[in-house]
Order: sequence, then C-alpha cells, then structure tokens
Amino acid sequence: MLGKFITGKLLQYFIVIFLMLTLNFLLPRLMPGNPLVFLAGEDVGFMSSAEKDAILDKYGLNDSILEQYGTYIKNIFTGDFGYSYQQKRPISELLMERLPWTMLLTGLGLVLSTVIGVMFGAISAWRRGTNTDANLLTVFMFLSAMPSFWVGMILVSIFSAQLGWLPVFGAESAWSNYTGMDRFFDIGKHLILPLATLILISVTSTFMIMRYSMLNVLGEDYIMMAKAKGVKEKVIKYKHAMRNALLPVATVFMLSLGFTLGGATVIETVFAYPGVGRLMFESVLSRDYPLIQATFLIITFSVVIANFLADLIYPLLDPKVGSRNG
Amino acid sequence: MVNSRWKKYWQVLTSNNIGLFGLILLVIFLLIALLAPILAPFDPTDRVGAPFTKPNGQFLLGTNDVGQDILSELLYGTRISLLIGVIAAFISILLGCLVGIVSGYYGGKVDAFLMRLVDLVLVIPFLPLMILLAAFIGPSFWNIVLVISLISWASPARVIRSQVLTLKTKGYVEAAKSIGTNIKVILARHILPGVIPIALSQFVLAASHSILIEASLSFLGLGDPFTKSWGTILYYAQARGAFLTDAWIWWVLPPGLLITTLVIGFAFTGYSLEEILNPRLRKER
Repeated sequence: MLGKFITGKLLQYFIVIFLMLTLNFLLPRLMPGNPLVFLAGEDVGFMSSAEKDAILDKYGLNDSILEQYGTYIKNIFTGDFGYSYQQKRPISELLMERLPWTMLLTGLGLVLSTVIGVMFGAISAWRRGTNTDANLLTVFMFLSAMPSFWVGMILVSIFSAQLGWLPVFGAESAWSNYTGMDRFFDIGKHLILPLATLILISVTSTFMIMRYSMLNVLGEDYIMMAKAKGVKEKVIKYKHAMRNALLPVATVFMLSLGFTLGGATVIETVFAYPGVGRLMFESVLSRDYPLIQATFLIITFSVVIANFLADLIYPLLDPKVGSRNG
Repeated sequence: MVNSRWKKYWQVLTSNNIGLFGLILLVIFLLIALLAPILAPFDPTDRVGAPFTKPNGQFLLGTNDVGQDILSELLYGTRISLLIGVIAAFISILLGCLVGIVSGYYGGKVDAFLMRLVDLVLVIPFLPLMILLAAFIGPSFWNIVLVISLISWASPARVIRSQVLTLKTKGYVEAAKSIGTNIKVILARHILPGVIPIALSQFVLAASHSILIEASLSFLGLGDPFTKSWGTILYYAQARGAFLTDAWIWWVLPPGLLITTLVIGFAFTGYSLEEILNPRLRKER
C-alpha cells in the first residue's frame, strides 16, 4: 500500500513538472509578437542579424514544434537553462550563485517559524478559551493579514533607516573582504531583517494547525486518563499532548515550502537579498524572459521535491500509517 | 423558508463580535470606495504640489515623487484593491463551485480526475507562477484578475465538494433521486441552497487572499500602470527609497495599514461565517 501511495504521488509530481515545463515552452511561442523577444529578452533590437540567427538556430525555431519541444526538454534535464542575453551569462551559472542565499533564508525561516508557531499554538490550545488564547489568535490573525513586503519595508524603516542598527540591503557588505568569523557575523547581521519578515508572515499557518491539532489531542481519552491518574500537568502537556499534536505540523512544514518560497521572492526584493526570488524580480524588471522562466522552474522543482520528501517522511512519523503497511 | 434561514445567519453573524467587527470594516471600505470623489481633496492623477512635500494643512499625507496627493491616491486606491479582490474571488469561487459540485455529485472517475487536478494546482508555487504569467501576458486590471482567479479556485473546490458529498446522503436528496426527479431540479432545489452559504464564506476568505496577492503583484511592478492600487503606491515608495527617509510615516505606513485592515475585515467576516456554517468547528473552539 505504501508503495502504491508513493508511486501515485510520484506520478502526480511528474505531471506537475511536465505541465509546468510545457507551459514554459508554450508561453514564448504562443504570445503575440516576435518569439525572439521572449526567448532572448528585450535586447533583440540591438543584436546583429548573425546573433539573431544564432539564437534562432539554438532554439531551433525553424524546426517543427515537436522537435523544438524535444530539444527544450533535453536541455533542461542536462542542466542547460539557456542563456541570459542581458546578463551575458549562462542561466544555470546565475542560478547556482543565487540558490545558496535563498536556501539559507527560506531554510532558517521555515525552521524558526515552525518552532515559534508550535510553541504558541500549544500555549493557545492549552489555555483555550482564556484571554491568552484570544489575544494570541488576534495577534496571529493580524500577522497573516499584513502584506509581506510592507512588513519588510517597515522593519527597514525602523531598524535600519531610523535607528541605524542593521544594514539596509544585501546579503553581506560589499568590498569588505571579511573572512572567517567576521564574515559569518556580517552575513548574520544582513540576515536578521529578511529572516524576521519571513517568520512574521509565515508563522500563522503553523500556529493555527498546531492549535487545532493540540485541541483535538487534548480531547482524547488518554489525556483524560492521564489526568485522572494524577500525572503531572507538565508531563501531560509535553510528553502526551504535544508529541502527538506535532504530526500534522510535520506535513505542513514541507508543504508550506511553496508559500515560503513565494514569500521569499517578495521579501528578497525588498531587501535586495541576492537569492533566486530577487533574481526573478530583476528578470521581470528587465523583461529578461528566459531568466523569468528559469527562476520559475527552479522554484517549482524545489517545491515538488520538498512535497515528495514530506510524503516519504510522513509514514515514518505516523505509527498508524506505518503499521498499516506491515 | 430560505428567507428565514438567511435571517438566522444574519443574526448569528451580527451577534458574533468578530464577525460584526469584520462586517463594519467592510462597510466602511465600501463607503470610502463609493465616495472617493467626494472624500478625496484632489484628483489623484493631478500634479497638485511640489514633489516630496511633507504633510501639511493642504496635503494631509504629503505628496509623492511627482507631486500627487498621497491621501487622494489612497482613497481612490480603495476602489482598485476592493474591486480586484472581489472580482477575482468571485470568479475563483464560481470555478470552485462548478468543479466541487460536479466532482461531489457525480463521483467516480470524474471525481477522481478533478480531485487529482486540484492536488496538482495546490502543489504549484502560486506567487512565482503568477509572476511568470503576469510578466508574459502583461500588466492590466483584467489580466491580474484572471491570473489570481485561475490559481485560487482549487481549495474552495475541495471544500465545496465535501459539502456536496454530505448533502448527497441526506434523505430528501436520496428520496428525490429515487422518484426519478430531473437532475437539474435536484441540483437547483436541494444541492445549491446547501452549497451557497459555504460558497459565501469561501468567497469572503478568497477575497482577503486576492487582495494580498494583488498587493504583492503590484508591488513587484506587475500591477496595472493606469490604475493605482495600494500595492502600486508602495511600489513607487520602494522605488523612490521613501522607506529610507522620514517619508515612511506618511508614504509607506498608511497603504500597508489599509491593506491589512481590509484583509482583516474580509478574514474576520469569513472565519465567523465558517464558524456559523460549520457546527463541528463551532463545537471544537
């Protein structure tokens, strides 16, 4: 059964990737206007006809549409995302440069917002119906209603521009040549505000799910049993309730990666943080279409992989699912 | 009978503090949107003062980089943000209802296929996809509406499907089926009345999401350049570095507060509607 479940999921993810690849392939070819503009960016006007021919040749625009599709798929799977004619560099090189920063930001953001959301969700459920619960709910609802980029702008205004405590933009100081611990602290200082923004906007979903799941667990018979036996409150709370309530949070952790990466796109833009999201924004600004597409694909790949990992890990966490598979 | 049911919903909604608060916020924003020409001291597209004027008696929130009155921009922006949110939410709920009802009522292979489709759409990272689409089809009011609604129908479809599944097992629906009632009649008379309240709460929640998404797209420079929404105002504030100067208090703070308040208005109304319509949820809280 587990095998069938995994195969089904794998098939589903392959379809997602296939559809997104096809969409990416069709967009520049279906839009009105010269497809060359979409494939090479808006700079085609400045190109010589030899350069244009080279691009036409590379994308095989004179071949049949099926042949073009074949070449396109082959290129993607050999890691060739094309060439950014505006940045004059291969796109895969650009992506490799930017990916580590996005992974640092979203990875830390995801872990910290999950920890914070779980803690407050548990407190809220444990004190259900009290003022603490109501206040926490209100605060977290407000957090989820704020536009992410605006939270970032306000934080920069207060902590960088007004107070001067933290750097305004970038991932590290330019031309500083810091090494070792100095560089580590420099990167850390630049990370604080974007990270705080990401946590503030993504913490609510974990909070809500943890609270809901904890409420369900607290209503179970074994909790009542433990209380009746006179087990200490702390033990019930941490050992019995929280451990069981964590299960749904674990799935959401991976699934919210899509949301977090989307949020990171906007946040990286505000802080000029050199990640993949900022790269996507820069490519939108300069109408560098191949780069827009490549950044979109790499984000989709990451999300699909994370989803699949979540599916693999889930049975290990949930004893009920595990035992059913013998 | 239907009338009395709506009356009941209305009573529960207004007796619920959070719902009432949300509803009041929505009414205020609706009034601002409708009365914008009366409330706004200037035409938001006119260059009425010197650029970057600080707030004073004439320009309560100062002027922007080309000398337009920020307060008037904000008041008129209510129209765009509200309109995009509501229309996008309406289309996505319409799609969601269609998929949810077909899926839930017919079941079997149709259901399996449609639900797989929903799973697929939910996996796609929606904001990057929207950026991709908006970049290719170009920024305009209707393109933004289209892009938002094409992505956000999936989770309402799932909620509505489960409601249809519940309704289907009700005695009166089975009875109507067994005496060979026309399927259109069953759908119109028995299924739809049970679906509409759920669709309404989903609509309100979808509107709050749409407003946030529109703000993000506009902030990234993918908004309609001819109609300034709150997100567009923040895009210019960012591009001109307003958040690095004292201007953040009158140029950056207000649009974000308005977005947050409008989203809260929709979210509070939506959550309390959900609580009213889903007795299981009510018990658990």
